[in-house]
Amino acid sequence: MNAVEITNISKTYTSSFRKNKVDALVDLNISVPAGSVFGLLGPNGAGKTTLIKILLSICFPTSGTAKILNEDTDNYKLKYRIGYLPENHKFPSYLSGGDVLRYFGRLSGLEGLSLDNKIDELLELVKMTQWKKLKVKGYSKGMMQRLGIAQALINDPELIFLDEPTDGVDPIGRKEIRDILSELKLQNKTVFLNSHLLSEVEMVSDRVAILNKGKLIREGTVKELTEKKHEYSLELENNLDGEVYLNLASHYNFAQIKDGRYTALVSDTMELNKLIDALRAQEASIKEIIQKKSTLEEMFINLINEADKKNNL
Amino acid sequence: MKNIFIISWYTLREAFARKVFIFFAAISLIFIIGLAIVFSLLNTDSIISGMNPSDNKMVLAEIITKIQLAITAPLSNLCLLLAIFSSSSFIPVMLEKGNIDLLLSKPISRTQLLYGKYLGGTLVVFLNIAFLIIGAWIIISLKFSYWNFNFPLVIFVITFTFAVLYSIVVLCGILFRSSVPGMMLAYFIFLILSPALIFIKLQLQTWSGKELLKGVVDGLYYIIPKTSELMGTINLNVGQGKFISDFQPVLSSFLFLILIMFFCDYLLKRKDF
Repeated sequence: MNAVEITNISKTYTSSFRKNKVDALVDLNISVPAGSVFGLLGPNGAGKTTLIKILLSICFPTSGTAKILNEDTDNYKLKYRIGYLPENHKFPSYLSGGDVLRYFGRLSGLEGLSLDNKIDELLELVKMTQWKKLKVKGYSKGMMQRLGIAQALINDPELIFLDEPTDGVDPIGRKEIRDILSELKLQNKTVFLNSHLLSEVEMVSDRVAILNKGKLIREGTVKELTEKKHEYSLELENNLDGEVYLNLASHYNFAQIKDGRYTALVSDTMELNKLIDALRAQEASIKEIIQKKSTLEEMFINLINEADKKNNL
Repeated sequence: MKNIFIISWYTLREAFARKVFIFFAAISLIFIIGLAIVFSLLNTDSIISGMNPSDNKMVLAEIITKIQLAITAPLSNLCLLLAIFSSSSFIPVMLEKGNIDLLLSKPISRTQLLYGKYLGGTLVVFLNIAFLIIGAWIIISLKFSYWNFNFPLVIFVITFTFAVLYSIVVLCGILFRSSVPGMMLAYFIFLILSPALIFIKLQLQTWSGKELLKGVVDGLYYIIPKTSELMGTINLNVGQGKFISDFQPVLSSFLFLILIMFFCDYLLKRKDF
């Protein structure tokens, strides 16, 4: 089952005088499996926040449909099952941290002792218990983020949208937020994560989608996206004999990096096997063969650059 | 309904936090204390016997009620202006990026959000007006030893007048996400347009011809809320416990309020944030 199903969603913003049109999202199709952590990546202005806002009916699509937890997004009662941490959120400055959670908890249908207990539990989770009675106008950016995560979880949602959850949070705080996300995943909750911090997305996400200028340019598991399909690193017991090495290098895209370590760029698995056969025929002892990977960040930058080049052509 | 109550309650808290409520209450309190001091220095018996030599109880009651209205009317008008000023930012602040996103991510409809905020703003003003009117009423009634129980009803008339003007402030808040246009429009209607329309309408009755102008003025008169009449004759009649012979200003203003709020709801439901 998919927790989020986006079908042909487009969003065009038109200026007040109807002269300028900006395509924020273009014919987008994305599915988010229930119980997974889904990372949405993209440069500034890619349409990530717009997409989340459409899913939450904070803004409306120009065309296309979306379903959340098998229900239409325009049903506001669906939000009993959803949590959301917006980017640059503002809490009423006259309320304390505890009061903020009480306010949003009451709006989410909670009350009485169960709400009191939930507030204490969430403040404990985000390590904000000692600041419960302090007015939020005195909070730092990191504290606001932690409180924001707590309010997103106040109704024990099945699906949580987090827009830049680690924005302004120190490294220890980021680690704690990652732990919270892992805990949510263990509880079989679906997390829709929108972040600029690619290394973090890489660490917690099961699936990732990359948006650029409103278009989906890549989607898949982190493994699928970071794998360098035909590039392998080979470690041999000993260095190859000079003549053998030159012979192999003339037939294959094969090079020595350092003592005993070689890199091979092949066209497919068959060519890789041929190379292995050739090495074995020379009685080379192979210690390991590893498919090379790029980081999500490298892959992301390459993809965006490629997409921009295509757009400029 | 529960969500409307929650939003109204937190609007009240917002007003407290912004010192709006306390500022209002302070002005009212200063006025009430001032009234008590002035009355303690005045010999009101000689004033009343001068105005009512026959000592007729009916006439006495009318004199006291008129004194009450004469004292509170200017301050009520001032309070109404202050109320519009202080409540004009409730909607634009709610619609700010970061605020509205959070609210709309909760299980609350846009209609509930609108009416919750509207009722909250009106409740703030109702409490302030009630404090002022009841305070003044108690001082005057104690001084003259006459209790006109109709007088506190003007609280509802003043609050209703505010509610009508506040609907305009809310509409402009949704359209422009700013408090200034709504405030200016409400002031314009309250201070200039409504009094001017009734004045011109009365003048035109004495002129012959000018049917087109009469039609335009009549049309505007019935469309624009009649805040002058509400704060004038209607307030006076209610305060004195007199029968209101013409409900047209109340009904047409109420209709205006309903239409504006429906339009606000329509706009808010279609707005992208």
